[in-house]
Parts: sequence; structure tokens; C-alpha cells
Amino acid sequence: MRETEASPPPPRRAKLELLVRHDGDDGFDVREIGSATAFVRFRPQRVPDDSWELVEMASRAAGRRTFVLKNTVTDRFLLLTEPEKFLWEQMDGRASLQEIATAYVLRYGAFDFDIVPALMRKLQRAQLLTLMPSSRLRQALARNRRRPVVKAIETGLTALERINVSSRNVQRAFAAAYRWGGFLLFTRLGVVASALLAVAGLLAGVKLWQGGGDVVAGFEGRGLQGFLSVKLLFLVTLAAHQIVHGLALVHYRRRVREFGFTFLHGFVPTFYVDVTDIFMASRRARVVTAVSGAAVHLLLGSLWFVLAVYLPLGSFAQAFAAASGMIQWQAFVIALYPFCFIEMDGYHVLVDLLGMPTLKQEAMGWAGSLLRLRAPRRFGRQEALWAFYVGLSAVSVVGFVAFNVVLLLHARS
Amino acid sequence: MSSAAETLAFLREVRLFKDIATPELSALGESLRERPLRRGQVLCREGDPGEEMFIVRRGSFVISKPVTGRVEQVLARIGPGDFFGEMSLFDRAPRSATIQADSDATLLALDREALRRITEQSPRAAAAFFYALVQVFIERLRASGDLVAEVTRWGLEATGLDVDTR
Repeated sequence: MRETEASPPPPRRAKLELLVRHDGDDGFDVREIGSATAFVRFRPQRVPDDSWELVEMASRAAGRRTFVLKNTVTDRFLLLTEPEKFLWEQMDGRASLQEIATAYVLRYGAFDFDIVPALMRKLQRAQLLTLMPSSRLRQALARNRRRPVVKAIETGLTALERINVSSRNVQRAFAAAYRWGGFLLFTRLGVVASALLAVAGLLAGVKLWQGGGDVVAGFEGRGLQGFLSVKLLFLVTLAAHQIVHGLALVHYRRRVREFGFTFLHGFVPTFYVDVTDIFMASRRARVVTAVSGAAVHLLLGSLWFVLAVYLPLGSFAQAFAAASGMIQWQAFVIALYPFCFIEMDGYHVLVDLLGMPTLKQEAMGWAGSLLRLRAPRRFGRQEALWAFYVGLSAVSVVGFVAFNVVLLLHARS
Repeated sequence: MSSAAETLAFLREVRLFKDIATPELSALGESLRERPLRRGQVLCREGDPGEEMFIVRRGSFVISKPVTGRVEQVLARIGPGDFFGEMSLFDRAPRSATIQADSDATLLALDREALRRITEQSPRAAAAFFYALVQVFIERLRASGDLVAEVTRWGLEATGLDVDTR
């Protein structure tokens, strides 16, 4: 009788033991970092769009779609399954492997842990993945780094990018914040109170709008000071946005994995919270988590507007409050409005409802091929949705810019 | 403070001194200085001048090398009976790593002058000492090779880089 061969144990993943010093004293933590931790944060980037072609291949196997991916520079070909094509489309240098895996789960309802590394090996062999910096700005800097000024800018951005103040041990803090009052935001009373405050804010906003130039007169001669102080305070409130996302996770008994501050692309200061655990909860939980963070801006904006009404007309304080209210409300709209080419809370709710996690990428790809006169003739429901997304987003961005121009003109009149 | 007998009993257990006869080991014990450290205290940092080697009597230590900002790579964690700092004793170069107490600890310090005395007064004890030292060096060299391989593997796994076909 033939003995069954024991399958070899899975290879041990490499680990680094790192000592991380505390600020201000001799204390330290020793952390074991597995290579898998870094791998899930890796942002694979495919070669530039003009270096590859992808076509669907007619298959005799009913119901199964396959695709041929060609590297037009090296003339190497790869055969991709439909899920592999989906993953390939995510590898734009912006999405981490963790985000790609999340998109995969949303699309296919399950995840195969071997599919991503196996595909990456295939793509690397066909020279279809690049190790170039992902941002176009960084690519331009890398090309010109022989110039001392460019080199200095690149070094500065790299140093800023390395600034990451974060903690992965935040669940207890968020749970405590939830117990000590955070839960009120998710009660019926909290929702009603928020709605009433929003209505009051709207009425106050209308009143301020009628005041027009008198309201912003307080910034006269101190425009730069006003602009910087409003922006700075707004930056702080971005932390509140992320904190409320975290409280929503606690509300739905999920885990907040990380909270921190970093400079996105080296120059955009950003607070962030890891809410990926909410994907294990219901769709309602995902929607509430997305909306609750944005609602912070609605409430803060309303408070600022109400306050501005009661402050002396034409004072710096009133102009500051009115401008803060406006920037908060705009942040609320931008965060929740899905049609603006930005993947924020509202966009995530939309793609979740549609079950199309890569709506923007697919729509942009389709629009691009349309402009290059290479779009397929077929125009079905999916193409209509892409056209709707791109069209409405373009109109919305133009409308947003126009609104701000009108706002400025109104303030100056 | 430990008595001479306690120190002698401890030194008998230290691999570095296992083949040294009792009279010479007693003499060596007398030339060792005891140095207490509290948890978290840094004994030396990379680049500091070094004049002595240390044997861990009690507690544990982390040996690390700065990588970036507040992050350091842990090279080794050592406990009672282990020793470190011998490189500066021989090559007179600055310390090659940072050493920090991981718990309340006591060290025994052996300086260059004490080592010179042992070498001159008892060549047989010195030979036993250096022979044991070389054996530990070999082990550490092998461990360093393993660490380099582990770090390389970590980098490849973390980036998913496929070097087979490059």
C-alpha cells in the first residue's frame, strides 16, 4: 500500500526584531515585525499605461473569461484569469496589497491568500511591475535628482514621508472614548440632536450669506492670518473625523487597528484610522462608519455658523467663524458626495452599494479609451454607469470650483 | 555586593572561564568590578569609546544597532553568563552597538589592564580564556550570517520581489 506523502510544512516567514525607543526617556519596546506585515502595505505599481495592452480572449470553456496581457516594450505575454485581471487593475501604485485584498473580497466574496503573490511573480517575470516611485511628482524628482535643488526637495519629501506618528494599540483608548460619551453619537437622541443642529446651522448660514461682505470684512488687512488660522484649525478637526470613524467601529464591536498622523506623498498632512475590520460587519455598519466621520464636519460647520451669527458684525472673530463653518460644510459635502473623482467616504458607500469596488478606475479607463477612440462599441448598463460617473463627476468639479468663485465674488462685493 | 566566593562560583558557570583553574579564576574575580544597572538604563551607545568588556551577572540586555529615527535593529538579547564589549577591548575602536538593560541587572567589568595582567601572570589561563573566546566568536559569526540571510529574506518577502528570473 502506498503511503500518503506528508505535505511539507509552509515556509516560515522571516521576522525582524526591532527596538523602538520611547520619546523623552530610556524606555523602549521590542517588536517582532513579520515580513507579511510589510507585504500587505506594499503598493505594487504596474508599468505605464502605454507599455501594456489587455484584451479578452475568446474561450471555449463556457462561462470562463480569460485575458491576454502584453508588455508592448518587451513583447512578453501573460494569460490572466478574470480575478487576476481584477487584481492587475488595482496595481496602480496607490492601493496597498491590504486594500487590494479588501477590494477582492468585496468583489468575489472570498480571498485566496496565494493569488496575489503568485500574480506578482508572474507580472515581475514579464516586467509588468515597476519599482519606480508611484507619484508623478516623485517620478519627476527622481528623473532630475542630479540637480541639487531637486535632490534637496526629494530628500525633504522623503523625510516628511517618514514622519508617521501612529499607534496600533488604540483599541482600548477608542473603547474608553466610546464608553465616556462617544456612544451618544450613535443613539437616536444623538442623531436627532445632530439633525437639529444642522438645521440651525443652515439657517445661520443663510443669514450670514445675506450679510455677505460685512461678514468677511473682519479679514480685511489680515487675509493671510485668517486663511492660515482657518486651515490650521480645520486640519485639527480632520483628527475628529477619523476618531468618529473609530468610535463607529467600537459601536459595531469591531477592532480599530491603527490611528495616526502622516504626510501623504510627503506634503499632505493627514490623520488616518484603520477601519478595515468593519468589512467583517454588515453593510449598514459600513455605511454608518463612513457617514459618521463626515457628519463631524456638518456638526462643526453648523456650530461655527451659529456662533458667527452671535459675534460682532465685521469682526475678525466673526469672519473666522464663518469661514471655518464654510470650510467644514464643504468638507462634509466633499467627503460624502461620491461624484468628484475622489475616493472618500461617500464614494466607498456608493461602490459598496453597487458592488463595484473599482468603479472609478474602470470608469476612468473607459473614458480614457473613449478619448483615444479605442473604446469598444458595446454600450451596456456597465458602460452607462461609467459614463454617468465620469460625466457627473466632471460637472460636479466644475460646479464646485464655480461655487467657490461665486463665494469669493459675493464676499468681495 | 557579592562575596568573593559567590563571584567565584558564578565565574565557574561562565563559559569563557570554564577551563581556568581556581587560583587564577580567584585572581581574575578580584580584578572584576561590579556594576549595577536599572531597567532601561543604557550602558553604552554605538560610537562611544570602550575600555572594558562585561559579563552579565544578573538580568538581561538588548544589543541593538540604530536603523532610522527611534528604531533600532535588535542584534542579540543576552542574559546571565553571557558577555559583550570584548571587541573594543581588543581593537580599541568605538562601541559597535548600543547596549541597554532590559531588566534590573548587574554586570562584571573586565578592563584592558586586568586582561593584560592575567595574560602576563598566567599564560595557561590566558590561553584557556582566548580559546573559549574564539569559540564564542565563531558562533556569533555564524549567527551574524544567519541574521543577514534572515534580513535579506525579510526584504524579499516584504516586497514580493521575484529574483529567480532577474
